[in-house]
This record gives sequence, C-alpha cells and structure tokens, in this order.
Amino acid sequence: MRRIAAVARNTFREAVRNKILYSLLFFAVALIVSALALGQLSVHEERRMIRDVGLFGVDLFSVLIAIFVGVNLLYKELALKTVYTILPKPIARWEFVLGKWLGVMATLVAQIVVMGAALAVTLAASEGSQALDSALFKALWLLLMNVTIVTSVAMLFSSFSSPFLSGLFSLGVFVVGRSVPDVRALAERIGGGAADLLKGACAVLPNLHLFTPSGTALGGQVVSVHGTFVGSGYLAWTTAYALGYSALVLGLAMVIFRKRDFV
Amino acid sequence: MTAGASDGEPQRASAGADDAEVVLRADDLKKTFRLGFLRKRVEAVRGVSFTVRRGEIFGFLGPNGAGKTTTLKMLMGLIFPSSGRAQVLGRKVPDRQTQRKVGYLPETPYFYEYLTPEEFLDFAGALCDVPADLRKRRADALLTRVGLDHARGRPLRKFSKGMLQRIGIAQALMGDPEIIVLDEPMTGLDPLGRKDVRDLILELRREGKTVMFSTHILPDVEMTCDRVAIVVAGRVASVGRLAELLSPRVLSTEVVLKPALTGSAASGSVPALPAGARRLPAGDDVVVELPADADVDAFLRAALALGAVVLSVTPRRESLEDLFVRQAVAPGSVAA
Repeated sequence: MRRIAAVARNTFREAVRNKILYSLLFFAVALIVSALALGQLSVHEERRMIRDVGLFGVDLFSVLIAIFVGVNLLYKELALKTVYTILPKPIARWEFVLGKWLGVMATLVAQIVVMGAALAVTLAASEGSQALDSALFKALWLLLMNVTIVTSVAMLFSSFSSPFLSGLFSLGVFVVGRSVPDVRALAERIGGGAADLLKGACAVLPNLHLFTPSGTALGGQVVSVHGTFVGSGYLAWTTAYALGYSALVLGLAMVIFRKRDFV
Repeated sequence: MTAGASDGEPQRASAGADDAEVVLRADDLKKTFRLGFLRKRVEAVRGVSFTVRRGEIFGFLGPNGAGKTTTLKMLMGLIFPSSGRAQVLGRKVPDRQTQRKVGYLPETPYFYEYLTPEEFLDFAGALCDVPADLRKRRADALLTRVGLDHARGRPLRKFSKGMLQRIGIAQALMGDPEIIVLDEPMTGLDPLGRKDVRDLILELRREGKTVMFSTHILPDVEMTCDRVAIVVAGRVASVGRLAELLSPRVLSTEVVLKPALTGSAASGSVPALPAGARRLPAGDDVVVELPADADVDAFLRAALALGAVVLSVTPRRESLEDLFVRQAVAPGSVAA
C-alpha cells in the first residue's frame, strides 16, 4: 500500500506542478464565472443559465484534463525513461499502474472541487445560498464518476500507444459513450448487420450518458438538475458501474503493462 | 579464459572470494527484438552467461551495442529474456523479495524533473518500503555522500548531467541494497566525479556490498574491479580476474637512453636497432621500442659501450585495452 500511495502522491505532485493544468483550470473557472454575465442576458432564466453553463464547463474541462493527463501518464514514463528507475524497485507493475491512476483521480477530484466551488460561489452570488441544492452536488458527483471511466480508458490506450493516438481514441470513446442512447436508437432504426455492429459497440463501450441524466426520463419521470434530480439509488448504481468499468479497463492496462519490455 | 567453461567461468586455483555465494547469475541469456513494420528480428543478446559473487566488484565491459544494457535490464526485470535464465540471489527475475536487495542505476538516467533531490530520494525510499523517518535520515546522508549537499531544494530539471548521475547513484542506495548494479555510472562525469564514483564503489565493497557495473572506460575497471566480463556482439568473450585474462607475456620493451653525443651526432652513440625495433621521437633523449623477441640485454650492453646513459627500461605487457580491442575486433574468438 505504501508503494501505491508513493506513486499516487508523486503523480499528484507532478500534476499540481504542471502549468498546463493550471491554464485549463483557469479557463474552466473563467467559463463558470462568465455564466453570471450570460445569466444577466437571459430573461427569467438566470439560475438555469448559470447552472447549465457551469456544469457544462466542469464536464468539458474535467474530461479534457482526464484525457490530457491520462494519455500522457504511462507514455511519459516510458518516453522519459523514468520508469527504468522505478520498476526495478520492489513494486509490482500493477501497483505502479494503480498508483498512477489514483494520482490522476486525486488530481481530478481536486480540479472538480475547485470548479464546483467556483460554480457554487457564482450561483450563490446570483441567487443566494438556496441555489446550492443537492441536485448540484449530485451532478458534480456524476461528473466525477464520468471522468473515472474516461481516465481509465485514456490510461489503457496510453499503455500501448502514443499520446496523440491515445487522445484520439479516448475522445472517440467519450463521444460515442455519451451518445449511447442515440446510437442504440439509430441501430433500432437501420436494422441489419450495421445495427448489430452498433449494438456491439454500445455493449463494449462505456455508457457515459448515464452521468449526464438531466432531461431524460428515469422510471417514467423526467429528471433535471433544475428540479427533481436523480435519487441516491441511481447515484449508487452509476458509481458502481463507473468503478466496475474502470476496474475492468484498468485491469486490461495492467496486463498490457505487465508484459511490456522496457527497452 | 573464454566463456567456453561450464557456466562461462574460468577454473580457479585460489580460494576466498571465488568460493563466495553467487548473487547474480546470467545463464545463456538471449534476447531478440522484433522491430519495425516488418517485424525484423534483431538479436541484441545471443547467449550471455556469467556469475557475480557476493562482495566483489564485477565489471561488465563491451563496445557500444554489445548488449550490456539489455543484459542488465534482463537482470533487473525490465526486459524479459527470449530464452535463458536471469537470477538474483538464487531466485528467478523479477522477484519482489530480491528486488528489495538490489539497487539499480539505469544508463543515462532520467528522473522526475519537477522533484527536488530530497523529494526524489524520499519517493525512491518509499518504493523500497523504507519507513518515513529512516527515509529522511538516509536521504540526508546519501546527499552528503554523493556530494549534492549544495543542491538541496533545487529541482532536478536544473541539475547538470554529472549531478543527475550522482542523484541516480543515491537513489540506487536508498533501499540499503546488498547488490548494486550500475549501468555506465561514469558517463557524464568529469575526472573528479569519476574518482568520487570509483571511491564510492570501493567503499561499498568495504561495507560488504556487491557491485556490478557496466562501462567502456577501461582505467576505471582496472582500478576497481575484482573480475570482469567482456561482452562482444551479444556474447561473453571473456570472464574472469584481470590477471587471468591478461596475457603475462611481454609484448615489447621500451628503452629510454641519453646519448653521449647530442644533436646530429647523437645517432652515432645509439646502437643499431635489432629487427622489428623502432625509434620513437622524444627530444634529446632516444626512445626505442624493442619487439618481444629482441635481446634486450645485448642492446643495453651495446648502448652502454657507446657511452649512452640508460634512463629507463619498461617491459610492456598486455593491458585491458589491448585485451578489449583484441576481443572487440575479433568476434570469431567469442565462445558460442
């Protein structure tokens, strides 16, 4: 456990000393705060506008950071040859991969907390503290679960591919994953072999739409971050889904990493 | 002695360190890489066998591209052998238990450049399961030992190549290992830095550690190593003690004379050179290199008879460099 924690701590330290991440965080906070101005422009929709733009900012930037950090994570260790110093020490390769993943997750938690705090302050400044309801925190939690999967997928690609390709693949998985209900509907409509292919893709790729449920019908009721949002049962099973899917993908990354020659 | 003996080791007459426990063993290690789109086969290591015994300093020599680094990486578990066995302390590599007892410095090491030396050594210690309070004490002591006291608090990105080499050695020692494997530890160091590393290696042996290092800087090997292996084209060409590997035969004798006469008349006071001898330019003195089969006594008598003063007579035996060059340019001599 000490070794995994050491790798995680070092990964977190690397991230917090990375100026690019600060730039991304700056843009995210700027976008969230700018929602205040956008809210002023919309008539009777200030609250809705700030919340939508704010959560969109958290979603967009957390995914960008997850992909950026995730695809570079293992690749950088190999390209910069830092791994040559680490792996001959008494640390198993799977421990190293898990430590890296935990370090990125700690980074993402910190980033989402900062962005969420910016959103909360913006909402509170606009409407007072009653704007900070449970729907907001549930939505932020779901976005964290979303990047848990995105990070794991990015790390999987990073274990055998260059950052550019890994980034493209990860972005592809994210886009398709977010569109799973649409892809399923498309498959129903077109039928035939192509439909089977699309259904197969939906079965293998993560259903990331689960983490942005606002506006969809769940159990016969439309949920919304502006009104009645998801319950704790939904949070529990989507959390289990995110952690389970991440564990599978991470396990695959560990197997690939375990078999690699570090030439 | 060539690698043709049973496990690639020479037969020994002496006892002592030779009978010591084997701590590292490469047994017919081979590694073939498949490179490029066409998966072209490249044989990096073609059957390397040697053993390293407890408490010795073992030099691993070879020209660039001979397979030294690949062999060391197989011993460290970074590369999986295509065939053969790599063992540390009698256990197959990689093994968590034995990894605790080994410290490794990779070739041209790269480290996390955003860390300070203290942070990096703390990280290295944590990976070796060293408790936090001991990590702090050990890191402090090691920074002093490798001469990096002045660089505390400075991020590694601001380190020179020589300083990185020093912090690399320090991280290899953070787990207080029994065996230290250093891949080209002298690279990037100035003469003073090389001396420091040599002294450190000798000090580690005095502490009872086993040190194996690869290099192509031969004087360092002659000054430190108990035994060496020379690897050429992916195979061990020679392994054993330097005294056993180097031919005791005199290759030539260098004679320095001060002639009785100087200037253009000097040649009149130098005896005729025997067949195969050559006169080397050396100012007013006369330097003559006599071949191995020349009658040195007769030459000296003749010189004295002509009134010359004999300043020095130096028999030249085979050096490590001669052996290295002989092995490197004659791969046919490599044992299969």
